Amino acid sequence: MVSTSTLVAVSIDALAFGFVLALLGTTVTLVFGLGELLNLAIGMFAVIAVILTTVMVDHGVGLVGASVASLVGVAAFGFVVDRTLLSLVYRSEGEERILVGIFTTLGLIVFLKGALGNFFPSSYTLPIDVGNIAIGDTVLIGNSVLIIVLSTLTLGVLLILLQVTYFGKATRTLFQDEVGARLVGIEPRRVRTLIFVLSVVVAGLAGLLFAATSSVSLSSGFELTVLALIVSIVGGVRSIRGTITAGVLLGFVNQYANFFIGSYVATIILYITAIAVLHVREEVTSI
Amino acid sequence: MKSEIHPELRKVGFITALLTFAPLPFLGNTYYQGLLQHVLIIALFAVALNIAFGHTDQLFLFTGGLAGIGAYATALLADSLGITAWATLPIAGLLTGLVGLVTSWIAAKRQFTVILIAIFTLTFQLLFTETFSGARDITGGSTGFPYEYFSLDVISDFTRISEDVLLYYILLVALVATLLIYLVLVYSKSGLAFDAIREDETAAESIGINVVRNKVIAGFVAAAIIGVGGAFYARSASYITPPLFSFVTVDVVVLVVLIVGGLRTTLGPIVGSILIVGVEQLLAGAPNWRGALFGALLIFLFLYFRNGVVVALQERMAQLREFFPEQEYNIGGG
Repeated sequence: MVSTSTLVAVSIDALAFGFVLALLGTTVTLVFGLGELLNLAIGMFAVIAVILTTVMVDHGVGLVGASVASLVGVAAFGFVVDRTLLSLVYRSEGEERILVGIFTTLGLIVFLKGALGNFFPSSYTLPIDVGNIAIGDTVLIGNSVLIIVLSTLTLGVLLILLQVTYFGKATRTLFQDEVGARLVGIEPRRVRTLIFVLSVVVAGLAGLLFAATSSVSLSSGFELTVLALIVSIVGGVRSIRGTITAGVLLGFVNQYANFFIGSYVATIILYITAIAVLHVREEVTSI
Repeated sequence: MKSEIHPELRKVGFITALLTFAPLPFLGNTYYQGLLQHVLIIALFAVALNIAFGHTDQLFLFTGGLAGIGAYATALLADSLGITAWATLPIAGLLTGLVGLVTSWIAAKRQFTVILIAIFTLTFQLLFTETFSGARDITGGSTGFPYEYFSLDVISDFTRISEDVLLYYILLVALVATLLIYLVLVYSKSGLAFDAIREDETAAESIGINVVRNKVIAGFVAAAIIGVGGAFYARSASYITPPLFSFVTVDVVVLVVLIVGGLRTTLGPIVGSILIVGVEQLLAGAPNWRGALFGALLIFLFLYFRNGVVVALQERMAQLREFFPEQEYNIGGG
């Protein structure tokens, strides 16, 4: 019989993993919702943030400073990708753009994995250890609590940004109606660039949080992309709130299955859940 | 059946003749014979994907997974039933066909868009590869096992032709058969229905076309071909492990081949396969940068060459005809 305190601890870990998934899924939702671009390279931005941070920490930079600097670096790289590669993708329209976007970002992730593999062949874990937090009989893993706090803050800021600011309103207008947005003076390309840069920064942060509890290698880039896609699609692909809910749901499914059955079956159950939700969800068919 | 099938059949005949003689300069060289087998297997997968994706907009991103099911099912059934893999191959094909059928049925019934089908099938791909790795007692897990099925030694002894060359010709027969199935489908009533569905599903339904049935047919045929091809793919590799069927190893390559060769063209998958396998060999000289160069090439090809080589050649021939109207050019295209 599993004790209540153990169930609470597992739930906290599940929530932490779910929030990381939510962050990843949000990056896909934002970019796809705005420009119908499915960014298959998004997971690699998360991995690049982890690698940059690890390299800086190894060279004596503090973890917080290195994390911030790596996110700035990822933002700069995202900006370059957007202004070069994605500008070519945005020349296409409609379904053609979707396909060109899929194949171009697929090429980008294959390119980055191949190129970076020459310099960073190892696995990386960030040296974060908050220690355990004891509340009564329940012992929580400190890193999980830290992940929940940081990702809640990030998602909160993101939602406020989208709800309150002019930039957020412009983004939501573009989500709804591109022609209408143009008519009221919104420049879609500029908003798309900002959102793309924002998305890779969020992916970078998700990567850093993920690396607090798991090792990350260049091969993880593709796995994180797939997780991001699954969460976004299960959440409805155009809904940030839906994406966050889907992330938390899949996080719970994965961690509980992991605890009660085992990691291999947990992954299988995660994918089966995603397939089942995709099958029964009504809204996702309206992509 | 539409009359345009005859020029397409001639093209298939032309490429078959060409491929029949392809191994002759490399007799005795097992490396190049393996390479030629690889060209045919990738082309076979690409023809199948052309049916599902090219003609009915079902972007199957589980070619690797289906190929894996075909390969594992053929071997495991042969072992457990104690019969030859030649007998279990059709069962494996039927099994993968049913996976494609169910997937297409769900996607068509739920009116999935191309993106949703892509993610749906990609999730299946990960599910399959995870199962290949995790079900160690059945599949051997990441250790794998030697894939010594489809014994050809009796025929090899009798004909004095090496097993590698025999396997090449078996693959060629399978590829030609697949191309004929493709042509029969595309130039029949189903093909007309495919065209109508691709243009506008609602309009197609309004004129009495059964969208679900036609998509399911395309899904079943494509998946069954991939399953059968998967068994030969493992036989050609001679050892079976889960990474052999990963998304990056199979799906990315097959997609590139199909797009470079030309979607909805008869010979595009073969032309694309020859080009991409050739490019992979050129890049083999820089093994550490192979992945990066392949990725860069992928981006370049999709951005600037996405209508395919076959279509580009056809356009060039049309231009030449305008300049030299009295001469005839008849280079095989799609």
